[in-house]
Amino acid sequence: MQTTSRLNDVKHLRDIFNAQNSKALKVAFDALNSSIEISEEDLEVQFNRYFVGPMEPVADPFASVYLDNPDVVMSQSTLQVRELYETMGFTYPLKNVIPEDHLGVELDAYYQLLYLEEAKEITYLSELRHYFLHEHIHLWVPRFIEKALRESEHDSKAITFILLQLKSLLIRETTTQGVTA
Amino acid sequence: MSYSKENVESIVNNGISRRSFLKGLAASGVLSSFPGGILQANEDLNTKIPYLGEKSYQTFRNACPRNCYDTCSIKTYVKDGVMQFIEGAQESTYTRGGCCVKGNSYVKRVYSARRLKYPMMQVGGKGSGNWKRISWDNAIDIIAKKLLEMKKEDGTLLGAALTKYSGNFGITHYGIEGMFNSIGYTTRLAGTPCWPAGIDAQNLDMGDMWCNDPEEMKDSKFIILWGVNPAANSIHSMKYIYEAKKKGAKVVVIDPVFTEAASKASQYIQIKAGTDGLLALGMAKIIIEAGLHDQKWLDANSKGYKEYKAYLDKEIKLENVSKITGIPLAMIKELALSFAKAKPATIWMGYGMQRHTNGGSMIRAIDAFVAVSGNIGKYAGGARYGHLSTWGFNYAALSMPKPEGSVGYTGPEGAKGDVAQGKDAKSNYTDRFLNINKTARELLNAKEPKVRLLWVACKNVFAQDFDRNQLIRAFQQLDLVVVADQFFNETAKWADIVLPVATQFEEYDVNVSYWHYWLTLNEQAIKPLFEVKSDLEIAAMLSKRMNQLQSGSCTFPQSVDTKAMMAKEFNPGIYEQFGIKSWEELKNGPVKAKAVIPYADGKFKTPSGKFEFYSDKALELFGSALPAYLEVRKPYDKFRMTSPHSRWSLHSQFQNLEWMEDVHPEPYVYINPDDAEAKMVKEGDTVAVFNKQGLLRLKAKLTDNVQAGTLLMYEQWYNNNIYNVNELVDDTSSDMGAFKTGAPGVALHDTFVNFRKL
Ligand code: SF4
Repeated sequence: MQTTSRLNDVKHLRDIFNAQNSKALKVAFDALNSSIEISEEDLEVQFNRYFVGPMEPVADPFASVYLDNPDVVMSQSTLQVRELYETMGFTYPLKNVIPEDHLGVELDAYYQLLYLEEAKEITYLSELRHYFLHEHIHLWVPRFIEKALRESEHDSKAITFILLQLKSLLIRETTTQGVTA
Repeated sequence: MSYSKENVESIVNNGISRRSFLKGLAASGVLSSFPGGILQANEDLNTKIPYLGEKSYQTFRNACPRNCYDTCSIKTYVKDGVMQFIEGAQESTYTRGGCCVKGNSYVKRVYSARRLKYPMMQVGGKGSGNWKRISWDNAIDIIAKKLLEMKKEDGTLLGAALTKYSGNFGITHYGIEGMFNSIGYTTRLAGTPCWPAGIDAQNLDMGDMWCNDPEEMKDSKFIILWGVNPAANSIHSMKYIYEAKKKGAKVVVIDPVFTEAASKASQYIQIKAGTDGLLALGMAKIIIEAGLHDQKWLDANSKGYKEYKAYLDKEIKLENVSKITGIPLAMIKELALSFAKAKPATIWMGYGMQRHTNGGSMIRAIDAFVAVSGNIGKYAGGARYGHLSTWGFNYAALSMPKPEGSVGYTGPEGAKGDVAQGKDAKSNYTDRFLNINKTARELLNAKEPKVRLLWVACKNVFAQDFDRNQLIRAFQQLDLVVVADQFFNETAKWADIVLPVATQFEEYDVNVSYWHYWLTLNEQAIKPLFEVKSDLEIAAMLSKRMNQLQSGSCTFPQSVDTKAMMAKEFNPGIYEQFGIKSWEELKNGPVKAKAVIPYADGKFKTPSGKFEFYSDKALELFGSALPAYLEVRKPYDKFRMTSPHSRWSLHSQFQNLEWMEDVHPEPYVYINPDDAEAKMVKEGDTVAVFNKQGLLRLKAKLTDNVQAGTLLMYEQWYNNNIYNVNELVDDTSSDMGAFKTGAPGVALHDTFVNFRKL
């Protein structure tokens, strides 16, 4: 039970950050079981203001922005993540189109790695997953969350909810379940 | 810890351990067990694939397509599909291996987090800031249906307007006009906010605008940089100027502002704005009286010299010239005489000077002075302004036929912009032209039919056009505003739909300059990021959808490949001019046009075939056959305001990049210390600069680089700042521009303001 929820949480958060329209976003949001009532359109408008654009979003969902340069994507950190994915055995159809360190893509990688371990009991990539979590995700996602939360706490319950879900996921992964030894 | 950092990093970064790790991976069953998502299991896992350190560079040819004299030829280095760095192409003697501070930021610009990434629709009304993502299909569908609905209701497509200017000067970008051509007769914001009065002036005098090769300036013996600041805005030209100076040439800068170029010149002459034409007339009088004019050349090659000389004799008083221009007479005499004695001598006229109510007449007066001195048609001489002589492409992307049965405007036809556009010879109809320099008012006033749809491309209307408050009103009354751009700017804020557009590194194109004589291929170096598309692809999608909805409603190709479109722009004339057999040769680097000295054969494309001091056309259109002195606009407020280009940006482009903001973080008004003192303003104080048009708040910098009585502010868009110097500009026209470009220019530099400390 716990395994399923752990996997599902990552999956729903991944789907939120990869949604391409209101409907997909709302489905993924509702899957997180929030009690917040919000229309598809309002949710997307808020989500875009925080993470997508077209105006400068509150917090860009790219690692490079936190690790390399606040205005740049597809930089050093992105290419490090690219190397990591390639070593993990992934191929990325959106290579050079959407940077590999977009939060949605990173959550997708993390989800798939976790799935191998939890659902298939294959541990070959476990060390790489831990490395990815502690040496990459953990270096920027908390900063991303804090930046967005500072604003969302005042004006968006839905965004705050998403961010808190992400935060608690990260805490769980990096503390208890993350280090299984 | 359940991982070892060193171990993982060695797997990832060390070729040997990576390969053995991948072999183990293939054996472990991982690949068939991934659940799959955005990332997929790599079924062809190549355990020999190189890791990043082994991936090699590919190079591509690119050009800087900005509205800049220099149109740099660029070599782009790409690794694993990612741009790493660029350099100026070594093959071009003009670019010679280096770009400017703006060009050098291209990698950061392409990969800026601020790029527009997806098509989006503003759902809470214009300016609400409520945006939804929409698919390309959806966006194009909305636009196509709107166009067809308008056509049905109005009987024409004149309700659809296009405003496009110089955001990308690549030749295939005329495909944006092509897209509008291909749907029928439409409304165009026509004319140019840039250089129209000067274009007209040169055409009246010489039948063309055709400058000598700037690389020749290295052999000039005397160079006047008249109202131009190449040290900031055409840095690649400076090496020729320095070389000439080193070889003993005198370099004089005449400018109301002490510019970077002035600081590098042999002499700087500060002139009162708007009096340059009078100075040129005075200088001509001086050399004629001294017998230093080139009588032989004038006899053989000019028309109306006698009338011109009579005018100088009768109307031009040297004491008045000195008084009005603010330059001591002895200095004027020395300047004129030493220019006339040096051969070859040349004058480079900037675009700022003609942005006055008497701008065209001033360019004519300077042309005349250069002609009198015998420097027209000479190697390393010339009255330089610009040229389009290497722009003889096919304009295949532009030249789209109207759909069968299209109905348009039946009013008078005019020329339209920098590059003349084909008129449908068989038709009685034309597009409807509105003056781009009065965009707000013209959009509001257009009737029968009203403008309902506006497409903005290669242009940031709110940063470049005038009268912001009226613009907001104009935008708000439109049913559908589409903004196609690379960044979210002030104009996009007022759009209904924004479409993310490719940079030059994400598409093919071909580029030439309006200043130098090089031809550069622009190759697609990287995949388009996110969902961006080239302007041509957008046009093709629109065509496809319109034809699905109503067959025959759009003639634009329904699918395009920017490379094929680029190739279609070439013709035997271009190949001949540049000495190549195929555009493919440009992959080896840019090439230069065969050397020609403008007008060396004494042939001018004027009605008389000669240099025309006396122009009947000028008399007919602008009321004066001669380049006579025309007084500049009278001040309507305390201080003249001047708004030149800065070295950090090209209009609104580049300034939004984060690192540019570091070096140039906010707008300033530059004030002469005497004026500042009178208003008790100190360095760094916030001041209000205001006039009947509007008010700007910004910080003051004190400098005597600007004359007392003049305030200087750079024209550009600042990210997160609605500063737009044009809010203080009314749309008063300059004298010329309507002859060749369809509409007069704007007298930007005849803006007057006052200021106070806040
Ligand atoms: S802005 Fe001008 S000088 Fe700078 S890279 Fe582009 S063309 Fe060259």
